Amino acid sequence: MISFEKVCKTYRRGGEELRVLASLDLEIPAGDFVALMGPSGSGKSTILNLAGGLDTADSGTVSVASETLNRMSSKALAQWRARHTGFVFQSFNLIPVLNAVENVTLPLLNTPLKGAERRKQAEYALGIVGLSDRLKHRPAQLSGGQEQRVAIARAIATDPDVILADEPTGDLDRDTANEVMELLVRLNEELGKTILMVTHDQVAADRAKRTLHLDKGELADGSAA
Amino acid sequence: MSGTPWFLVRKHLRVHWVRTTLTVTIVSVALLLFCILTTFVTSLTAAVDQAASNRIVVQSAVSLFVELPLDYHGKIANVPGVESVCKLQWFGGYYQDEKNSFAQFAIDDEVFLQQYENDLEIIDAPPGDGSLLDRVRTAMRADRRAAIVGEGLADKHGWKIGDPVPLTGKIFPKSDGSAWDFTVVGIYIPKRMNVDDQTMYFRFDYLEETLTQEQDQPIGCGTFFVHVAPGHAIDEVIANIDALFVNGPQKTLTSTEAAFSAGFVSMFGNLPLFFGTIGGAIVFAVLFSVVNTMLLAARQRIREAGVMKALGFTNRTVATLMLVESVSICVIGGLVGTGLAWVLSEGIRGVVSVMFPTFAVAPQTMLISLGMSLTIGLLAGLAPTVMLARLKPVEALRSEG
Repeated sequence: MISFEKVCKTYRRGGEELRVLASLDLEIPAGDFVALMGPSGSGKSTILNLAGGLDTADSGTVSVASETLNRMSSKALAQWRARHTGFVFQSFNLIPVLNAVENVTLPLLNTPLKGAERRKQAEYALGIVGLSDRLKHRPAQLSGGQEQRVAIARAIATDPDVILADEPTGDLDRDTANEVMELLVRLNEELGKTILMVTHDQVAADRAKRTLHLDKGELADGSAA
Repeated sequence: MSGTPWFLVRKHLRVHWVRTTLTVTIVSVALLLFCILTTFVTSLTAAVDQAASNRIVVQSAVSLFVELPLDYHGKIANVPGVESVCKLQWFGGYYQDEKNSFAQFAIDDEVFLQQYENDLEIIDAPPGDGSLLDRVRTAMRADRRAAIVGEGLADKHGWKIGDPVPLTGKIFPKSDGSAWDFTVVGIYIPKRMNVDDQTMYFRFDYLEETLTQEQDQPIGCGTFFVHVAPGHAIDEVIANIDALFVNGPQKTLTSTEAAFSAGFVSMFGNLPLFFGTIGGAIVFAVLFSVVNTMLLAARQRIREAGVMKALGFTNRTVATLMLVESVSICVIGGLVGTGLAWVLSEGIRGVVSVMFPTFAVAPQTMLISLGMSLTIGLLAGLAPTVMLARLKPVEALRSEG
């Protein structure tokens, strides 16, 4: 499902080159739920961005859902993201001027669904995350846990192959974090979604099927790639 | 397959209503001023643009304020190519109060109505047989105090057919200080912009006879309006008229009606340039103000742009939303400003009718104003649009905005 072959990525900051990934090989099969852990700057978010087509590798091959992302144009990558990925961010990243159902409807505009079908699908996704009674609430009117559940509903609304979660419990208290993790486990086990999650939280990582540890752009010893 | 979330534009405009309202107000005020200033210019130059092509004006070569001898009338009429000659003398009186000044001209009524048949239309006349124009012709001949007035002037003072209009002469005061008496026998509306509806025309012979009696000396005439017969070269007729009086007693300066009107406009100084500069400066300042507003809005929306791109929206879609928002604000401002100018036009005209009798916001001015609002929106939205389009999703998602 997700395959990295000899992937390198270097950032330039203030004239200085910072090598984040050094010839990384990684294989995540369909239906897996992987937690990526490691110190800051170890390359966790870079892997997530490359797997989601938000960034491109300097060299090597990144393949997701049977498609190689390296040489896609920005337009093709955008269309690919719309079809295959769902993102869950640490700070939720809901559009503040839209209510819950409108936020979830947004990615459905990139599908062939018509207006009423989109609405129905968005309400269904919000039902899965237990927010059927918060359809018209704006992000500012929701708690942090509810906001993250709306974000998860938005991520699954288009029925993507892969869900990419960047510190999904980072801004939440323990109880709410557990609820969100419970939801991700359900999506993986019941709906068969492949999940790649970056986290610093060991409790959250323990809910994944396996954990990969990164250090200085390489998988640490003992990580099963 | 990819749809554009247009509702985001509406949501942003509504949620950020203070910013929307202020920007719409700035644009609308600027375009209101643009319309008004442009209308001042177009109402000044309308007479030039709409001048009759076969009409020429003879005036003194010294100044418009120097009278020509009345016997010039017959001499001009005998110049080859001249079809008709109409005396036209500025009267300069006021009605009841000096504040009620308006244009009044003494004219050869029969020739005038014939020369201006295509320029004005009689809309009210005394009862009788025949067309409105024929009834006015008859009424003018029957009463030497007869006058025709523009509809705007008649409405302003509540004049109707048969009403007496006493005017106090400032250039031609009566020796006993009494008013000149006139009677309204016709009301007209302009058919072309070289005529306004704020003027009164009355019989030249009434002025001539009264002044001759009172002053016991012949009077002159400010201008002669000449129609050139079809098939004759206007330049040749002009040259022949001026050649006729080259040895005096008054040298003449003959010009086309358009050139005469242009000379009249230039007496105000270069108002088109003055008004154009002010209008341009206002629009320019507003453009920068809107650019600043939209750049600020875009900076606040960088993260949102990143989310949109992560959700699968293309750079073009994200950029288009920003551009449409900018254009929407400016076009709404343009519609409000232009609409206000149109609504206020009549009221402004009432105030400035003496100097600008044809003041009315032209459809062309309104179209230009709306076009400018669209242009401001496009220009103001350009920089933020390009900025959002070029953002990489990763960079946008890292932003604090």
